Amino acid sequence: MSEFIQLVIAGLTTGSFYALVALGYTMVYGIVRLINFAHGDIFMVGAFLGWTVLTTLAATHMPWGIGLLIALILSMILTGGLGVAVERFAYQPLLSAPPLSILITALGVSLALENGVLLIFGPGFNTYPQLIGSAGFVLGGAHITFIQVGIIILSFLLMAGLYLFVHHTFIGTAMRALAVDRDAARLMGINVERVIQITFFLGSSLAAVAGVMEGLYYTEINFFMGFIVGLRAFTAAVLGGIGNIPGAMAGGLLIGLLEAFSAGYISSRWTDVIVFLVLIGTLVVKPTGLFGERVVERM
Amino acid sequence: MIKPILYAALPLLLAVGAASASAADTIKIGVPVPLSGPYAAAGTDILNAAKLAADDINASGGVLGKKIDIMAEDDGCDAQMGVQAAQKMIDGGVAVVAGGYCSGAGLPELIALHRAGVPFILDAQTNPKLTSMGFNNVFRTIGRDDEQGPFAAKFMSGYLHAKKVAVINDNTVYSKGLADNTVSALKKDGVDVVYDDSVTPGQMDYSAVLSHVASLDPQVIDYTGYFAEAGLMAKEAAALHLKPQLMGGDATQDPTLIKTAGAAANGWICTTAPLPQFLTGAKQFVTDFTKKYGTAPGPYSPYEYDAIEIAAKAVKDAGSTDPSKVIASLHTIKDYKGLTGNITFNSAGDRTVAVYITVIVKDQAFAPYVKLNAAGQWVPVQ
Repeated sequence: MSEFIQLVIAGLTTGSFYALVALGYTMVYGIVRLINFAHGDIFMVGAFLGWTVLTTLAATHMPWGIGLLIALILSMILTGGLGVAVERFAYQPLLSAPPLSILITALGVSLALENGVLLIFGPGFNTYPQLIGSAGFVLGGAHITFIQVGIIILSFLLMAGLYLFVHHTFIGTAMRALAVDRDAARLMGINVERVIQITFFLGSSLAAVAGVMEGLYYTEINFFMGFIVGLRAFTAAVLGGIGNIPGAMAGGLLIGLLEAFSAGYISSRWTDVIVFLVLIGTLVVKPTGLFGERVVERM
Repeated sequence: MIKPILYAALPLLLAVGAASASAADTIKIGVPVPLSGPYAAAGTDILNAAKLAADDINASGGVLGKKIDIMAEDDGCDAQMGVQAAQKMIDGGVAVVAGGYCSGAGLPELIALHRAGVPFILDAQTNPKLTSMGFNNVFRTIGRDDEQGPFAAKFMSGYLHAKKVAVINDNTVYSKGLADNTVSALKKDGVDVVYDDSVTPGQMDYSAVLSHVASLDPQVIDYTGYFAEAGLMAKEAAALHLKPQLMGGDATQDPTLIKTAGAAANGWICTTAPLPQFLTGAKQFVTDFTKKYGTAPGPYSPYEYDAIEIAAKAVKDAGSTDPSKVIASLHTIKDYKGLTGNITFNSAGDRTVAVYITVIVKDQAFAPYVKLNAAGQWVPVQ
């Protein structure tokens, strides 16, 4: 029983990272029908920006709680800005081009970001300061750390916040309108470019939160870290139904749990096989993914 | 493919021929190391050790009344460049070749040198294959990849008194090979291997695997992969309050492990060929090297220093720079007192006693731990 709880906690923690990154994939796809392959690398840049701010602030002997908050917020703003810049310079000119062109551009952006970080920060591992130890509590024989609980709660709050934003604000309504029909939305007086930029900003800053939390939790970051997380998060978005926000959350958590259970009860080697078998099985039964609905009902 | 190589080699042959005439009063020792590409730094550390050894020998009168001349060639850690480097050294009239960094370049170099009948002393190439081809011209001052596994197994059963052990690898050639060698040696020692499986490197979260492994109740968890994942495992195991002793192979001995795991790294043990700072005989060498080059010696520098010293001794014993006579005299090297301990070669050319030690993370720094002495007892590394 204690092992089961332990695996659930491990799965929910990694699942939270996947879910936060998956939201970026799903929001962008919902609105511009683009699979933004650079999103995993945006997550990686978020982790590096947070690291830069944190290590700079560490020299000023600021209380670490405040330093962490500043690092988180700065990383969210800057990474969000990076997302908007990528959209403005790489994707916007291609929005009306054939889908393949923009897909290739996304791959190019991914390579540019990875190699940019490689050139600036080097190929080795950078490590976050050891701010949060492994303090925690025991539940049913399983050891749970406060940072795990913090990660899970923060991701749930962000996901709930995003859901409310999309469903109860003017911009959120505009985003959903774009998802249904971009041209019709434009005819209704919606500033389409602005809404797309806000979508990229939100998706990228959520990825930045995931990046900084990943840095704090696992301490080591490197330029290639966005690849595996990006791949899993994209899988999560497809599993949940790409374009669907609750679907991305559910998909992320489900993949985290699947990974933990297959590593714990079967073998770590089989993790990918099991995750993708579940994905294929789901898509065979329900081609739109778990939460995917008719195209009109995206977001 | 033969033609371009011939054309490329032609001007070199001419140049080398012209040079060797004027240099007949020196004894040439070839050092093929990567001096370009990603491993250039490691290659330079090895070459500097070779130069230091040559300077030391020359300062005390040289060999057979002649000075030692180090002939460095860039092999770029690449098989093709390695063949060219070996050919240049053969044409340059070397008595011995001693050095190198990558097994991948070392193998074709060895084949070329074997054909030319030139002895080759390896200082860093640990792949077992190099000394398993039945060549009589190959010698090695460092241990083999397949010797570390049995050493690790002996450490677990003999020093840690483990009855149940879990071995985790990352499915790379090095890691899987080390794990296989460790597991078979553990079984031979009567230890119960409760877990032997691989994880995916780069996955970050190993707490699921670790909590499963812990439920099998091993006394030791041995991770044979690299430092990045080892650091994460140390950190995650501490958060799970796991009791087993954690340890790993030489690839886990890297400061990143400690930076990643912080205080949780304390107590992590690595099996490794001793780094210069942990070699009792190498204290003077470390001082001299640091003074001369402004940086601390690399992990393989003392092995290269020993390789050059042994090459010089073999030439002296043979009384000739004729490579075939040098090979014969290298086979008679016995109990040579080098920086890295006593060196005797077996018939394959490997050291009869491979030197491995364990290091432990103490107060968030690597510190020497224990080693096996000649009597088979575990003693602290000074």
